[in-house]
Amino acid sequence: MQVDSTEAVDQTQLMNALWNSITKLYGEHGASQTGLTLIEYDPDKKLAVIRTNNAALNMTRASIATITKIEEKPVAIHVLAISGTIKALHKNLRQ
Amino acid sequence: MKRQYADLHLTPNIRDFQQVSVVVNKAAQLGYHLIALLFPPNTTQEELKQIQTACKEAKLDLATRIDLKPRTPNDLTYNLRQFRRKFEIIAVLCESKNVARQAAKDHRVDLLSFPSTDFRQRFFDMAEAELASESQASLEINTRPLLTLEGPARARLLASLRKEAAIAKGFKVPIIISSGTSNGLLMRKPQEQAVLAQLFDLDRECALDAVSRNPIGIVTRNRQKLSPKFIAPGIRLVKKGKDC
Repeated sequence: MQVDSTEAVDQTQLMNALWNSITKLYGEHGASQTGLTLIEYDPDKKLAVIRTNNAALNMTRASIATITKIEEKPVAIHVLAISGTIKALHKNLRQ
Repeated sequence: MKRQYADLHLTPNIRDFQQVSVVVNKAAQLGYHLIALLFPPNTTQEELKQIQTACKEAKLDLATRIDLKPRTPNDLTYNLRQFRRKFEIIAVLCESKNVARQAAKDHRVDLLSFPSTDFRQRFFDMAEAELASESQASLEINTRPLLTLEGPARARLLASLRKEAAIAKGFKVPIIISSGTSNGLLMRKPQEQAVLAQLFDLDRECALDAVSRNPIGIVTRNRQKLSPKFIAPGIRLVKKGKDC
């Protein structure tokens, strides 16, 4: 996913924003079902790869779409690609 | 066939060309093929041409839209008579039940829109849906309030939208999902708009249709009707002259 923002965002801030967004929309019970993990984050390109459970994919996507701020900095996060493996994901992104 | 996506409610200030460019370029970047910008009634031809050029450069199709906010059904009828042939999309923001009913009945109205924060002014019930299904009006849902509201306000909005979406589905009233924003950071990719629609229990296919097939269908239909070759539904002028 791509973080669209004019200001710098680090991985801790990003993951906190993601967890907060999921918890706000779906509660702690919903958040516990996502299995959300950060795989990699490039702060220069603002590209992140996260892992989530397949069953919670739509929940995670909706939560990502509702993020409008990270620590009072206006942002938008766009999902670029979804894949079952990291290798295929990188291949898709290169294309 | 690959889906083409449309956002029928972008609201940059038309007189601020920089803001319009930002929004147009953002829409192109996010993968939209058609956008509708909100134009004031007194837009000049030069302003329209400038914006059309910007959209052409961004490889986007532009539709013109006007939002009507009538106080009475007579106001609505008067405005529709004035503006129907000038704009490709006409949306009515229904702030009273009488206006909502009249808008749903009138064949000249494309989109029915309701205030997102005042739940007492959301009049999309079964009677409204039945009228809308006969007149080809669609229910418009903006995603901007879903992004900007939080807590109980968002929960109440989602509850209203869930009820309205179910009613619309039951009466086969098309649903249109739009951004309703002038801020590039509040615009989302069409697939993300569709996922947001699943928050109020719209299924995946309906949600994708709401950002693709339904809005494009409205614009195509209206362009045909506004074309000089249009005579009546199903009848168009093919050739004119002595040797027809």
